[in-house]
Amino acid sequence: MAELAYIQEPFKHLQRKAKGDKYIWSSVLLLALASVLVVYSATGSLAYKMYKGNTEVYLFKQVSFIIVGLLAVYFLHLVNYKFYSRVALILYLISVPLLIYTLFFGAEINEGSRWIKLPVINMTFQTSDFAKVALFMYISRELSRKQHVIKDFKKGFLPVIIPIMITCALIMPANLSNALLTGATSLLLLFIGRVHGKHLMMVIGVALIPILLIVGIAALTYTGKTTDGVKETSKNKVAESLTSMGRFGTWVSRVQDFMYASNDDIPYQVEQANIAIANGSILYGLGPGKSRQRNFLPQAYNDEIFPIIIEEYGLIGGAFIIFIYMVFLFRCINIFRRCPYAFGAFLALGLSFSMIIQALANMAVGVNLTPVTGVTLPLVSMGGSSFLFTCAAIGIILSVARNVEQLEGKNVEPPAAQMKEEKKALQPA
Amino acid sequence: MKNTSTIEVKRDILWRVYLCFIAIILVCVVVMSKAFYIQQVQGEHWRGMSDSMHQKIVELDAERGTIYSEDGQMLSTSIPQFDIYVDFGAEGLRDKSGKLFRQNLDSLSYCLSNLFKDKSGSAYKKILSNGYAKKTRYFLLKRKISFKEYQQLRQFPLVRLGRNKSGFIAEVRSIRLNPYQLLAYRTIGLNRENAQKIGLEQTYDSVLKGTTGKRLVRYIGGGVSVPVDGALDIEPENGKDVITTLNVHIQEIAENALMNMMQQSESQTGTCIVMETKTGKIRAMANLGRRPDGSYWEDYNYAMRATEPGSTIKLATLLAVLSEGKTSINDVVKVGNTGTAFVGVREVTDAERSPKPVMTVAECFAHSSNIGMSEIAYNTFAQQPDKFMKYLHQFRLDTITGIDLLGESKPRLPRMNRRNEGLHAMVTMSFGYAIQISPLQTLTLYNAIANGGKMMKPYLVNSIQNDGTIIKQYGPTVLRESICKPGIVKAAQQCMLAVTAFGTGKPIFKDCPYKVAGKTGTAHVADGKYGYNDGVYQASFVGYFPADNPQFTCIVAIKTKPYAPLHFGGQLAAPVFKEISDRLYSMYVQHSDSIRYATDIVNDSIGYNYIGMKTDVSEVMNALDIPFKASSTNSDWISVYKNGKAPAVAGKTMPASVMPSLQGMGLKDAVYLCENMGLKVRVKGAGKVTTQSISSGNKISKGQVVSIELN
Repeated sequence: MAELAYIQEPFKHLQRKAKGDKYIWSSVLLLALASVLVVYSATGSLAYKMYKGNTEVYLFKQVSFIIVGLLAVYFLHLVNYKFYSRVALILYLISVPLLIYTLFFGAEINEGSRWIKLPVINMTFQTSDFAKVALFMYISRELSRKQHVIKDFKKGFLPVIIPIMITCALIMPANLSNALLTGATSLLLLFIGRVHGKHLMMVIGVALIPILLIVGIAALTYTGKTTDGVKETSKNKVAESLTSMGRFGTWVSRVQDFMYASNDDIPYQVEQANIAIANGSILYGLGPGKSRQRNFLPQAYNDEIFPIIIEEYGLIGGAFIIFIYMVFLFRCINIFRRCPYAFGAFLALGLSFSMIIQALANMAVGVNLTPVTGVTLPLVSMGGSSFLFTCAAIGIILSVARNVEQLEGKNVEPPAAQMKEEKKALQPA
Repeated sequence: MKNTSTIEVKRDILWRVYLCFIAIILVCVVVMSKAFYIQQVQGEHWRGMSDSMHQKIVELDAERGTIYSEDGQMLSTSIPQFDIYVDFGAEGLRDKSGKLFRQNLDSLSYCLSNLFKDKSGSAYKKILSNGYAKKTRYFLLKRKISFKEYQQLRQFPLVRLGRNKSGFIAEVRSIRLNPYQLLAYRTIGLNRENAQKIGLEQTYDSVLKGTTGKRLVRYIGGGVSVPVDGALDIEPENGKDVITTLNVHIQEIAENALMNMMQQSESQTGTCIVMETKTGKIRAMANLGRRPDGSYWEDYNYAMRATEPGSTIKLATLLAVLSEGKTSINDVVKVGNTGTAFVGVREVTDAERSPKPVMTVAECFAHSSNIGMSEIAYNTFAQQPDKFMKYLHQFRLDTITGIDLLGESKPRLPRMNRRNEGLHAMVTMSFGYAIQISPLQTLTLYNAIANGGKMMKPYLVNSIQNDGTIIKQYGPTVLRESICKPGIVKAAQQCMLAVTAFGTGKPIFKDCPYKVAGKTGTAHVADGKYGYNDGVYQASFVGYFPADNPQFTCIVAIKTKPYAPLHFGGQLAAPVFKEISDRLYSMYVQHSDSIRYATDIVNDSIGYNYIGMKTDVSEVMNALDIPFKASSTNSDWISVYKNGKAPAVAGKTMPASVMPSLQGMGLKDAVYLCENMGLKVRVKGAGKVTTQSISSGNKISKGQVVSIELN
């Protein structure tokens, strides 16, 4: 890993100052490095379209994002994580009206109304990214506070599940896949947080209703493959009638595309992603910056970045990215084990699991395991609001790690009052 | 107690965490396996698809060659033409909810309106706004704009930002342009995409079109393709240029002369061919057809369409009869004075009553007596009408001329199977019915007589050139070294001279300063919806001039409207012939040895007279501080002449269609003036113009050469 040494050289000074888990730091830096390489390559055609082939524009953008992101990580990790416990509630309370605002007044990019524009810095950001971080922080806080009554439906279960449902319900109309992903991640956290299995099954049961509805409609309205012309018209008719119901029609047709995909009837994006994967080999890809599919694969720098990684660096490159994520997750679990305070422990788990699940969701789309959704590969996809919120989450995890290290190294007692509260929280019901 | 329970809780959580971790690792394995499957198992399929989707062999269009006149004028050439579309869904256009579009809408609409001048600025604004609202992806804004307009369009606000930002798409096509429009339009022909080509464009298509090249390209972003390195490209080979024998000047004369007569007489169709006698070069080929709105256009090549020729065929009859050797042109034939007579097998009627009941053969020819000509034909060939056919074969009237222009219709001759039937047909043929030949064929026969019996093949193309280098040169081709004995040729020439001297051509040619030999023809035409009795005539005149040294042979054939008051060859076709021969004679024959310089008054420094552009002259006068009497004039041109002490200035109007006097002009002004009038200027010397080859006041036409001398 000569690259690793190379990239770490300028950061050595920072490393001495930066506290927290050095494996997590390394993972973040490696992913950022990968993002520079791949995004620079993958934005080729976008740059051609927007800036007459001046790809440096995007390189510069991405590097700026990474610098800003790393600064955010650095400063957030200096904060005592217990501060975030208080912030979590506030953030969550802000996120709900923000989501409502987006739903009604948000800018429409690629059909869904998911974005709002920040007035001063003139940047669009996806409110759901913000809401997700806020939600997971809030769940971590609630789970840690309610551990003693967690098996109780009213006292333990409802206070956590209601905020989850509110957030998911607000994300869903514009971005179903993101809502499902958030919901699934939340359920995983609830499972880890010892919520009663019976309650969890109930939630899954309720959540399945709309999903089954969509799949059911997709199956029923799909008229099969008599002839191409007939099939297309009938499908269009259904899709047309469904567009009157917001994005419902899009969902149905996407599920149809996925369910009934045969070799000659594959969505363009999936086809191009598969070609990208096929262009690479196990050990060698086409080489850095040599991607061919970047010109044809929509969102090659974003949602579909994983196939481009495989195309340029081979399966081994893809596996390496996964490996970094796994190291990251493992180290976060390690923090959880070492952290004596429930909130910090849950915070590390909640934020890391959500990030890894998002990464897996992105890769699953890339290799056509799931229908096409718009989820970025954390830290690797081209910068944007999601990149910055991921950095914020990492900053918070590192803050926990830093405190744990401090505790283990110097054995500094946390303030008495907080200690008391934490201990109380950890008492079983 | 507290501690243990905390540890238990933590342990409870820990196994759940590990379970989730393992689940996630499993998912990772599944992801990698799927990637492996796509790459290793299905790999071939996807890679194959990649090639077929992203690489394509594109055709590289070859530039079509240009058709030139003999004097180097472009007759038909390819120019680019643009169709402008707008993609209102272009990202740059819709970015920031259309800020760019709204900002530029007003100025762009204004510019578009200014450029195309077909709609007002607000109309354009409305169109663009509508398109934007509907988000049309391929909106046709304007069709068929020229390269010049396209260049201007590209500088407009919004448009200059490029295709991705403005959504403006230009589709380029190559179209054929005939700079001379009507002139020889049908002969030059059409290069149509969705219909059959015609004319020279068709005949020489394989030469003109060149070879299409091929190139393997790979598509990169934004619909742009780049050539694949190392792939074998086939470069397109541009089409060759065709240099015709046509002369724009003669063509214009012929076309105009024909057009004037057609318009006056409201005739249906007309054709006129001018041929160079010695070589068979077609110098002009005009074809006019009346359109439903009463205007005329080159709509069909009537010159090559076989029709019943009428009296012009009598030359063949005469030649055949004389060739048999039993008859001379001074033999006497009885035609009677009723205008109708029974000749052998059928009744024959004269179109015009003969001046006397008994005439010589030459007089019969000159007065175009059907009775007389059929009489001598019957007398000669009554026993063996087949022989008459053999003569027609000898004169090549039974076959096409073989001109290098597709679409020549084959002559139609009657069958001579049974003796009686054949005789009847032969007699009918002798004055131009029952046989169909094209005006071009008739012309070729007459040209042979003009050329001393040597029959030349008519041809339209001088050479094939590539970038100015001659690739293939075409020359005159002899069809028959001698169509009949020299003595007979002489006799035929005498008869043709008699036509203009005292025959049917006399009213037109009586005051002609040069001699014309020719023959009129007036035929009843049965064609399409018209029968023989509908009073539709084909009036024709064919002949050559000057008769003592033939330079040009020309045929004019006009098909009249039903019951036209003027329908005789001598009335309709001969005047057209005369106008053409007059002009050609003065231009090419009269001055062919040395150009006679017309000289106006030569001014010396005492009685000077300088002509120039008004602005230029006043600038010079002011700069030199010479006081001059300016006369109030609106003319652009003024002349400065001596008037007492101070020079006086007078406005000078320059005529548009006749030669102006260039006397006293500088070279710049003279050339400017002449070239603006369509003249070609040859210059000799320096200083002020002293002599000019075309006298002032003479009628001029485009492409004509004027020589000027400066001193």
